[in-house]
Amino acid sequence: MNPTRIGALAQRIIRAFRHDRRTLGLIVVVPLVVMVLIGYLVGDDKEELRVAVYGMEADAPFAQAFDEQPGVAVAGTVDDVEAARDEVLAGEVAAVIGPAGADASAGVLVVVPGEDVQVEGPVVQSAVRAAAIAQGAQLPVGEIPGVVVERVSLPTGERPTTISFAAPAMITVFAFLFTFMLTSVAFLRERSSGTLERLLASPITKGEILTGYLLGFMPFAAAQTTLVLGYAIIVLDAQVAGSLWLAILVLVLLVIGVVNLGITLSFYARNELQVIQFIPLVLLPQVFLGGLFWPVITLWEPLTWISVLFPVTHAVHALRRVMLGGAGIGDIANDLWALSAFAAAMIGLGVLVLRRQRA
Amino acid sequence: MRAALASPGHDAAVSDAHAIAADGLEKHFGPVRALDGLSLEVRTGEILGLIGPNGAGKSTFIRSVAGLVALDGGRVTVLGEPPGRRVSSRIGYMTQSAALYEDLSIRENLAFFGLVYGLTRRDARTRGEELLSLLRLTAKVDRPVHELSGGQRQLANLACAMVHGPSLLLLDEPTVGIDPELRRRLWTEFAGLRNAGTTILVTTHVMDEADRCDRIAFVADGRTLDMGTARELVARSGASSVEDAFLRLRARSTP
Repeated sequence: MNPTRIGALAQRIIRAFRHDRRTLGLIVVVPLVVMVLIGYLVGDDKEELRVAVYGMEADAPFAQAFDEQPGVAVAGTVDDVEAARDEVLAGEVAAVIGPAGADASAGVLVVVPGEDVQVEGPVVQSAVRAAAIAQGAQLPVGEIPGVVVERVSLPTGERPTTISFAAPAMITVFAFLFTFMLTSVAFLRERSSGTLERLLASPITKGEILTGYLLGFMPFAAAQTTLVLGYAIIVLDAQVAGSLWLAILVLVLLVIGVVNLGITLSFYARNELQVIQFIPLVLLPQVFLGGLFWPVITLWEPLTWISVLFPVTHAVHALRRVMLGGAGIGDIANDLWALSAFAAAMIGLGVLVLRRQRA
Repeated sequence: MRAALASPGHDAAVSDAHAIAADGLEKHFGPVRALDGLSLEVRTGEILGLIGPNGAGKSTFIRSVAGLVALDGGRVTVLGEPPGRRVSSRIGYMTQSAALYEDLSIRENLAFFGLVYGLTRRDARTRGEELLSLLRLTAKVDRPVHELSGGQRQLANLACAMVHGPSLLLLDEPTVGIDPELRRRLWTEFAGLRNAGTTILVTTHVMDEADRCDRIAFVADGRTLDMGTARELVARSGASSVEDAFLRLRARSTP
């Protein structure tokens, strides 16, 4: 153990960082962004769940008692149960509550989006407490006023199991992470080894390069997705209510976009370390804001605008609708368009950066 | 400067006699003038050596001929056409470092580049085998390239540049970091290719390689200082050797 040698080595590492401002910046920026996001998402000052009521005025005793519960707020009224379902399906409000029948003894009906299981708990709890308060009764332990939950967009109406709910998010994150890592590093190597230069001096076109990359990585992405999906379905008993092919279409669109994202970002990295640094930067905001753990509708509004731009948001939403809710292609058309737009934008960026290689 | 460049056929900028005709090429990278009015011609069927120090603009010139540089000025014609995709299938480009796929074998690299250049699968294979025997690459042809020695890599690199049978070869410092024995062998291969009708543009900063070129062009600061056979250049500058001739010309051209 020679302290001079050890010191020299440590100093060498610190000095090298001095010339790698980006790594230095990321060491500070990534944890800050992540901590700010986590602090916001798990903290108490999050947006309240916006819940509409029907069959009563917004200032009815029950609605007022509900509004006073933490984490939820009454956001207007809708005409009837039919309108309630439409509002919830369209994502206008997080949930709708109202009388379950003509008679007050029928209890409370809570209409929630089935595929966002995190919404159901707080709304049902608040409805139970509000019903008790509205009845002027102290709530005896074990006695719960009648609450009926309707999970729109779920064919069985059953609350999905945790694994069924988690599977779409897991598959999406795996597909994104794996595809991004492989393509960005592979393309960085193509650039640093000089083979890209060689390709650009050949008759191959930029479109051919991008398409070739896509086709080359697709089998691996497909194999991995099949493995994750298959394990979730067969071993973990995750449900697939809709078409498996539709789920695969969603993932293919996602992978097309991510292959080109990886190619594009690899041009902004000097080495493998810098490419790997893009992963938390690109993936974490999407995981936090994409509705994987916290429903998009519960986010502060400006954050929902960002969330809409993320491909992961749309992939997870579409996969949940298909796998949990048995949605058809028309039901997830918006998500499919968004994913196609993302893919097209990334292909455009890929062509642009390839063209810029010709300095 | 122009007077010194005068060589037979100079005025016929685009003709079959010239594989490459470059006139007043300009390329600026910020304040750096990589090409600063460079003009030269490469005759069809000759080995032209581009000789000059590091940073003279040799690589930028080769890359512009390969269609990889958007010029800021001047005009270059390659095999009678502007550089780019159309003419690229008739050009072989050997990059400075061995630009090969490390996880593929030499055979697989050859097949890949053959297909990229539009050969059929069968032709790519036949042509690959021909090149392997021509360059006497027999060892480890089916092992991943990352297991090969530096010399074998460079031979494989040359083979990949030639797989589509180009009529013009661009060689960017092909002998850097190569032992003398292999260097001699590479130059023998170049001469053989030239004798078979291939035009070769080769850059180097090793002066003794000048003797192996049919003609040489001295390049410095993005300009051509002089062109001719080694003997002509030495005689013209009253020097004792090619190296001496270059240093004298350089001293004269630097203000």
